[in-house]
Amino acid sequence: MATRRGFIKGSGLALIGVGLAGGIPAFAMKAALWKKKIGPYKKTQTLVCIFQRGAMDGLMAVTPFTDNNLMVARPNLFMTAAAGLAGGNAPLIDLDGRFGLHPMFKGFEPLFRDGRLAIVHGIGSPNNTRSHFDAQDYMESGTPFNKGTSSGWLNRAAGLIPSEQKTPFQAVSLTSALPRSFYGDTPCIAISNLQDFALQLRGNPMSIKSASTSFEDLYDQTTPGLLQQAGKESFDAIKLLKQSDIKNYQPANQAVYPSTALGNALKQIAQLIKMDVGLEVAFAEHGGWDTHFNQGTATGIFANNAADLSNSITAFWTDLGSYQDEVVVMTMTEFGRTVHQNGTGGTDHGRASCNFILGNKVRGGKVHGNVLALAVENLEEGRDLAVTTDFRSVFSEVADNHLGINDDHVLFPDWAGSRIGVMKKPD
Amino acid sequence: MSIQFIRRGILVIVIGCVVQTMLSSFWFTDRPGYKKLKFPYKAAGLSPEVAAAHLLSRFTFGATPGQIDQVVQEGLENWFLKQLEAKYPDDSLRMMLRQYDALYLSNTQIVDMYPRGGREVRMAIKDGVLNKDSVDKQTDKKAYKVIVDQYMKDRGLKPQQELYKQFISQKILRAAYSENQLQEVMTSFWFNHFNVAMVKNDCAEFIPNYERDIIRPRSLAKFEDLLVSTAKSPAMLYYLDNFSSAVATDTTKKDWKGNPQKQKQLQGLNENYAREVMELHTLGVDGGYSQADVTEAAKVLTGWTVYPMGDFDNMDNARQKISADSSKNPGWVHEGDFLFNPRRHDMTQKVVLGHIFYAGGGYEEGLELFHILSHHPSTARFICREIAIRFANDTPATSLVEKMTKTFVQSDGDIRAVLITLVSSPEFWSPQAIQEKIKSPFELAISSVRSLNVHIDDPNALNNWIGRMGEKIYNYQAPTGFPDKGLYWINTGSLLNRMNFGLAFAGGRIQGITVDLLSLNNRHEPESAAAALEIYGRLLIPLSDALQMQKRLSPLLNDPALAQKVSAAASSKIISENGAGNSDSLRQASIAMTQQRTKQNNTMLAQVVGILIGSPEFQRR
Repeated sequence: MATRRGFIKGSGLALIGVGLAGGIPAFAMKAALWKKKIGPYKKTQTLVCIFQRGAMDGLMAVTPFTDNNLMVARPNLFMTAAAGLAGGNAPLIDLDGRFGLHPMFKGFEPLFRDGRLAIVHGIGSPNNTRSHFDAQDYMESGTPFNKGTSSGWLNRAAGLIPSEQKTPFQAVSLTSALPRSFYGDTPCIAISNLQDFALQLRGNPMSIKSASTSFEDLYDQTTPGLLQQAGKESFDAIKLLKQSDIKNYQPANQAVYPSTALGNALKQIAQLIKMDVGLEVAFAEHGGWDTHFNQGTATGIFANNAADLSNSITAFWTDLGSYQDEVVVMTMTEFGRTVHQNGTGGTDHGRASCNFILGNKVRGGKVHGNVLALAVENLEEGRDLAVTTDFRSVFSEVADNHLGINDDHVLFPDWAGSRIGVMKKPD
Repeated sequence: MSIQFIRRGILVIVIGCVVQTMLSSFWFTDRPGYKKLKFPYKAAGLSPEVAAAHLLSRFTFGATPGQIDQVVQEGLENWFLKQLEAKYPDDSLRMMLRQYDALYLSNTQIVDMYPRGGREVRMAIKDGVLNKDSVDKQTDKKAYKVIVDQYMKDRGLKPQQELYKQFISQKILRAAYSENQLQEVMTSFWFNHFNVAMVKNDCAEFIPNYERDIIRPRSLAKFEDLLVSTAKSPAMLYYLDNFSSAVATDTTKKDWKGNPQKQKQLQGLNENYAREVMELHTLGVDGGYSQADVTEAAKVLTGWTVYPMGDFDNMDNARQKISADSSKNPGWVHEGDFLFNPRRHDMTQKVVLGHIFYAGGGYEEGLELFHILSHHPSTARFICREIAIRFANDTPATSLVEKMTKTFVQSDGDIRAVLITLVSSPEFWSPQAIQEKIKSPFELAISSVRSLNVHIDDPNALNNWIGRMGEKIYNYQAPTGFPDKGLYWINTGSLLNRMNFGLAFAGGRIQGITVDLLSLNNRHEPESAAAALEIYGRLLIPLSDALQMQKRLSPLLNDPALAQKVSAAASSKIISENGAGNSDSLRQASIAMTQQRTKQNNTMLAQVVGILIGSPEFQRR
């Protein structure tokens, strides 16, 4: 680890410091000779993943509205696509005569009709755990039957991208803590607010310089491990961000982001993409999908979450403008919810759900996957929408196609399934 | 069984007695051979000072100046046993907490005094203070708010945010200043284990008393007692939805009060709590239970709910109905805020983990379930591993966990006995444990306060920093609680926030706290940066090799070229500001330069301390 002194110090003072402490180590000399240019980087392909924590009810998001079984199982939650029967509420958006998009996802409709947005229904994990923690853990590690996997699949994806440029912003999570998907050996960072990303020092320029150099040296020379690595990544990132005006960012094309956690996260991802800092994998979270209680229908808890998700993503897409060709957005959630409503106006933990994939390389305008009639004999354990598409099949297809990865044994060890063709064939 | 109405006053006494009994029934000092208690740190090659520093780093929120020497004098074992008693009177802390009146309220009082969900508006309309039409139209929001605020004042109502502010403030003050540090550390540990979160509105207002009445008094007691008490608390009942879980009924039926059921009152099974109690509170996810066990356990716990409280809506009505029904029909249980409602209970036969609960049972089934869960071997191992992770290292040795598990089983889940086994094990004193834990943001902030004897007037700004560093206390949404591992806390963004925290803290830029660095050095200004590093390094990082740290830092801070450049930069600035030329302005300039130098020294001192707090060594404990 000690030899990975990636950045040449801006000031000679640091080297003097090291020198006085016992001679300039060989690795530092080597590092000094290897002067790396800090950005701008070449335009990269970026995969943006949004984890919907809490387990989204896929049957409410994209409802097989012609299925009578569902109507019976959900006397209070079933929604119709027929405006006349919706009782004054907004009806489902009929996508193909069989599936209806929740009305609060209305921002997705034009993208779907345009063939840029795909839906995979019946997606889930082969492991039938109904624990949030476990299912998220499995989905994020990418190994549904192995708890011991220390790395996350997006971290492995970042490591597998065949890019010659290495930047501290290759993989960024817009969260205050590093998500499980990002655990691993490839340097990844978590930032909740780009603006805070600087050392906040006071005093004259010289003492500021000495303080920041001191921090850098302390972290550089501490015992190899977590703190040393995180320290190095921090200082690399500070230097890179310093080069742009983050504070005064104006979204393009009159895009309006909701002022929600997700809206803010996606806005900052758009900023990073447009700054050309070499962002290849981005991650954001969206909470509140664990609707055990009073889930609501056209309005209510689920509807509010859906509106936030759809408005945030469509604002992001609009803002990207000419960068759209380089970006794919994919949502994911740990599992779906019971076909039957529970006794408290909600749904409990189930199995399969659905997800959204948006991008110009996506085979959109189609509900992919396989949703059987919701008759009890077709349900998993007699109660849940069956998982008919392994999440790894979709994740690997998207990542391989968009990021140019071709080593699925590393990306998803012990998986050897087939693709469902959610992406267009690469040219 | 007829209703067990226990009045609040009696209940308090009952709880008091229970705690008292727990203390006297296991009292380590009464045990034969306790004097032989000897922590094996010498065998690990540790001096008493280093061992005391290690012990304090784990069982306090940070050593205060001089505390290491005190503990060495007292004897490490004696200090630890005293901490297990948790009987220090904490008079000065009590004085500090007197400013927070909400800390002493019951849940009922809180519900009445801190309305939520717009209840204050409904009340104002009902009392004729507000016109309903004007509320609906929201014509003049400002005027409307003034009326509501005044109405709340007149009625003695307060905004909920005030409650949470007081609650969070007391936690920070307790962690910083309580003499019963181990109890406070264990309170944090168990709160995180039995996590509830303010992000869930229904449970938020009950969280202050959850910690005060359920967690803290049992943080060093028996595990089963903790488990049952959390299960019956309104905070947990709301957080994991069990309050709503009931035997499945026909949705067209009328409810037990005879009213047609509204959407909100629809009764049915909710297995959220039943699942998490097995996965997270007791057995652990690999503890050997199935989906069927979860569903069956949920049935066992149907009817476990919250007693209607407060003087609003139809609560009084609901209470009267319960009272009337329970005087005629058996099975009701009302203890404090807890209510077992037999009408919501699933009376069929259930089987959980192979144990049969015969048809027709009631409240006692739940107690039986918790007894089974708390005495399951998977639970002993799961809990002990979690304790070992908290106090030894992120990947504790199997041998250590096994020893603790044995004690857990033999002592009927006595938490103090388990802790004694932990500290009596060589693994606790091994190099794999020393300085191997990464402080959580809360621990980082509180240890900064304690190491430097910092005075807190108002903990709010400090709390905001803790949140910014990644630990918004009482707000971790998932029932897992915050992951207790370095990898979760340390990443690029959070590390930078930690460095910035150090600089802001030492520089006196965090509102509500007073850092007096000179008082820690007999009001002497350290002569040099190196001296400052030595003096404050000893306080902040007693375990790290001070000499090595100095080597790393002092060349930078003492570099003569740097000092020269700094003063040159400063003087040129002053001269240009004063307009160089005549002797008068030169004299002024020299006075200004002296002032500037003093300021510079203070800045230098704050900067050295800030760098120490932000250093990798201070992130460890």
